[in-house]
Amino acid sequence: MLENVEKSHPADCFLYTDSVPSVWCPGCGIGTVINTFIQAVEKSSFSSDKVCVVSGIGCTGKVAEYLKFNSFNRIDGNLIEYAAKLKLQNSDRKLVVFSNNADFLVSGAKDLVETGKKGIELLIIHVNNIIYTITEYKAIPTTPFMRASADKNLELPFNIPHLAKECGATYVARWTPLRAGWLMYSMIDTLSKRGFSVIEVISPCLMYYPDSKRIGDAAELMKFYDDNSVIKHDEPTEDLDIRVHDKIILGKFVDKK
Amino acid sequence: MKVFATGVKVARGEVHILKDMCKGCHFCVTYCPMDVLDISTEFNTKGYHFPIVKNQDDCINCGLCGMICPDFAIWTTLKEQKEVVEL
Repeated sequence: MLENVEKSHPADCFLYTDSVPSVWCPGCGIGTVINTFIQAVEKSSFSSDKVCVVSGIGCTGKVAEYLKFNSFNRIDGNLIEYAAKLKLQNSDRKLVVFSNNADFLVSGAKDLVETGKKGIELLIIHVNNIIYTITEYKAIPTTPFMRASADKNLELPFNIPHLAKECGATYVARWTPLRAGWLMYSMIDTLSKRGFSVIEVISPCLMYYPDSKRIGDAAELMKFYDDNSVIKHDEPTEDLDIRVHDKIILGKFVDKK
Repeated sequence: MKVFATGVKVARGEVHILKDMCKGCHFCVTYCPMDVLDISTEFNTKGYHFPIVKNQDDCINCGLCGMICPDFAIWTTLKEQKEVVEL
């Protein structure tokens, strides 16, 4: 025990260490996204005082409780609008929004369109786990066709990179948490970029199969996402919707100067 | 096997593990490119099997385990730059 107390992780200066380990399931992709974000802030030229983290509700909403940056937790619905107002008042800060599907698409779509059209400098890290976990595994706009356990989804999934591009984003990328190096360099790029930028992270939800309750198989799930994805940079964003029998396309799709 | 480029230095790293932080997802054990880590037979205080170091000399300090760990339980540091004599 004593030798463990003496050691400390290099990222501990960015974390509230009382609350680590986190409340997420073992092997949840959100933990990897936070780890990558901390390394990106360390490697970029930003000082940690200049970074503001805003998060909303649900599993991803707990991000702001762990990070030792200036962080805000906001109710459902106007997360992106709130971040845009903060940015207008503090023009020297970099605003980073950790959003999930509810904040980003379901109740925040109007804010997304307005903020993107105005071109306010925001970095949105959208953790997409393609299902509502807490409210009984219901289908959401990004659930693939016929893939939800509570009710079969009969609609085609939403294409988030295309939406972000049409809203006027200057940087659009999509990664899985296992491609941590790519994700980190995308974050370093966007931290120094002036403009509205969106990074979508397709993260496996460990409660995706609620019938079998297989919580221990995190590495297996992550390997499934890794095998069924392929990197294609500069692919036209119209083709990026998630199809059931095709591979998920990852990469950097939009990078305007 | 002959070595064509002489004087090549390969980094050797040291793995540090905080075993009570681990939640047993085993990403580090699954994705280590040099197969350094292994799953322990013991439990930590939360009841998970944490990773242990199987062969420390093979670690090349790539940092992948520290990068994908969701719970900040493992990281590597550079120990030495070892010169390759024979592959």
